Amino acid sequence: MKNDLLKIGDQELGSRLFLGTGKFSSTAAMIEAVKASGTELVTVALRRFNRAQAEDDLYGPLSELKTVRLMPNTSGAMNAKEAIRAALLGRELSKSPFVKLEIHPNPHHLLPDPIETYEAAIELVKQDFLVLPYIPADPVLAKRLEDIGCAAVMPLGAAIGTGKGLATAEMIKIIVRDADIPVVVDAGLRAPSEAAAALEMGCSAVLVNSAIAAAEQPAAMGAAFKAGVEAGRAAYLAGLMPTSETAVASSPLTSFLSGSD
Amino acid sequence: MKTLPDWLNPEPWLNREFTAADVQRAIYADAPNEKTLAALLSPTAGEFLELMAQRAQSITRRHFGRTISLYTPLYLSNFCNGGCRYCGLAADRRAQRTALSQEQLRHEMDAIQKMHFEELILLTGERVPEADVPYLCDCVAVAAEYIANVTIEVFPMAEAEYRQLADAGCTGVTIYQETYDPVVYEQMHRWGAKRDYLGRIDAPDRALRGGLRTAGIGALLGLADPRFDILCLYRHAKHLLKTYWQAGVSISFPRIRPQLGGFQPEHPVDERMLAQIIFALRICLPEVPLVLSTREPQRVRDGLAGVGISKMSVASKTTVGGYSTDSEESTEQFEISDDRDIPTFCAMLRAKGLEPVFKNWDSAYRGAAHYEKA
Repeated sequence: MKNDLLKIGDQELGSRLFLGTGKFSSTAAMIEAVKASGTELVTVALRRFNRAQAEDDLYGPLSELKTVRLMPNTSGAMNAKEAIRAALLGRELSKSPFVKLEIHPNPHHLLPDPIETYEAAIELVKQDFLVLPYIPADPVLAKRLEDIGCAAVMPLGAAIGTGKGLATAEMIKIIVRDADIPVVVDAGLRAPSEAAAALEMGCSAVLVNSAIAAAEQPAAMGAAFKAGVEAGRAAYLAGLMPTSETAVASSPLTSFLSGSD
Repeated sequence: MKTLPDWLNPEPWLNREFTAADVQRAIYADAPNEKTLAALLSPTAGEFLELMAQRAQSITRRHFGRTISLYTPLYLSNFCNGGCRYCGLAADRRAQRTALSQEQLRHEMDAIQKMHFEELILLTGERVPEADVPYLCDCVAVAAEYIANVTIEVFPMAEAEYRQLADAGCTGVTIYQETYDPVVYEQMHRWGAKRDYLGRIDAPDRALRGGLRTAGIGALLGLADPRFDILCLYRHAKHLLKTYWQAGVSISFPRIRPQLGGFQPEHPVDERMLAQIIFALRICLPEVPLVLSTREPQRVRDGLAGVGISKMSVASKTTVGGYSTDSEESTEQFEISDDRDIPTFCAMLRAKGLEPVFKNWDSAYRGAAHYEKA
């Protein structure tokens, strides 16, 4: 597994676990969880960059971690125009090639807007970002975003913060089957077993925030997700055995064939 | 007399009998509705406060994480021609009246910026020449030079006026109905523009149509039957959430506090009832920010932080010019109960495993929102 690197555009990552950085009880707890998870890519909302007050700033402490790359996200943007503005500002501040494009016009359920996301992605690809759009688990939208040059797609497992797991599993399987770019399950996961399941079904990585931040012990949960992701990836590479409904002892519809000749 | 609009009417759910089993089902409801809320507000549910608190905390943690968003109010003016019986600044009260000049506002903003706030509510009384819409637009524009998120809590206005404020850099409005009970509303508001009960109910709609991004609503607890008001408030929130699905809706819990004029509330809400209301609304509106101000005493604020409540004011001044001067020249609107400074308050939050969040929005997103329909 040592050479099993995840390629996103021209960037290579050793860990298939991405972390969100909001919702933690303190910056110190967040940093501890980031370290324990072994993640190499974390996402930070532009709205949580705070250059005026170090104590309230998520970006500064993360930028000091040498093993972690930053992916600014556009959370808070209601439409393509706002997201593009946020992405440009995020790049200026962080110098990161990545952007997690998220446009959720409804601030309560935070579900992504596929139309605005598609329009923003076109522009951001033109501006040489590695665009990772957060999207509904829609196989057609995923292909459309791949066609215009997105570096990966990030379909949701369930609504952000719900912990409902891989509620969209059937759609994600189709996205994975059809995709030529990495598929990253983003949002909805609660347990490391669900992260393992996503990797087993061929997803390239998962992005987790609430499940770790809201756990009793965030750092320990970060480590658990690391193990889950690694197990799932190893299982995918090892090749799962085929499934069948039940063992079938006789073949009532075709037994007549054994009497032939 | 005005009557309550049908779409807000809580009658079908009011004064029903709920059993312990009804309440327990409501606490764990998959798809909460008016009936769920009525059960959770019932006297029977008062026996289940601990269970409700546990449920409220787990929902708050799931949707808002282990964080509390912080903001502060800034009183621009305490001139008022209103006749609210319960308000220490009503036109017939003896009070020192003043409105900030642009220069004084800059002093206030310097002080607020030093405190690291990134979210602010600008307040005035009713519409007067000293604090009208052009004045507010100027104040919003000045405040927006200093911090990311500038909102208003002022008098109801027309959609076009809200749009002027949005264009000036205002992101949200807070407007409390005070009470949804039309009879009590008429008794409480003795004269002036505020007697327009239906126009006030409709104000958050106009604000959001005008391009503001968030609307904060609430009822002034103590004026009327709290169960009636909270059921109406819930229906009001649901209406806004459905109609303006791209806008943010939040709910506050102003409880009548001792103030000038010595108003005695007819339906006082005690701490247990306040907590029950907050837990009930958290269970029924899992994704809506619930806000608690410094009107409440320290013990209550500490207990509710993260247990339903996701957003709080801190180190508030309710006098005009209170952040940059020590003078007692202006009369405060109400007495602050929790006067802790920011480091003390944040230390309390951290000790409870909650991270204070000052900046949760970015000026990159500023400008009027357009909720277009194809």
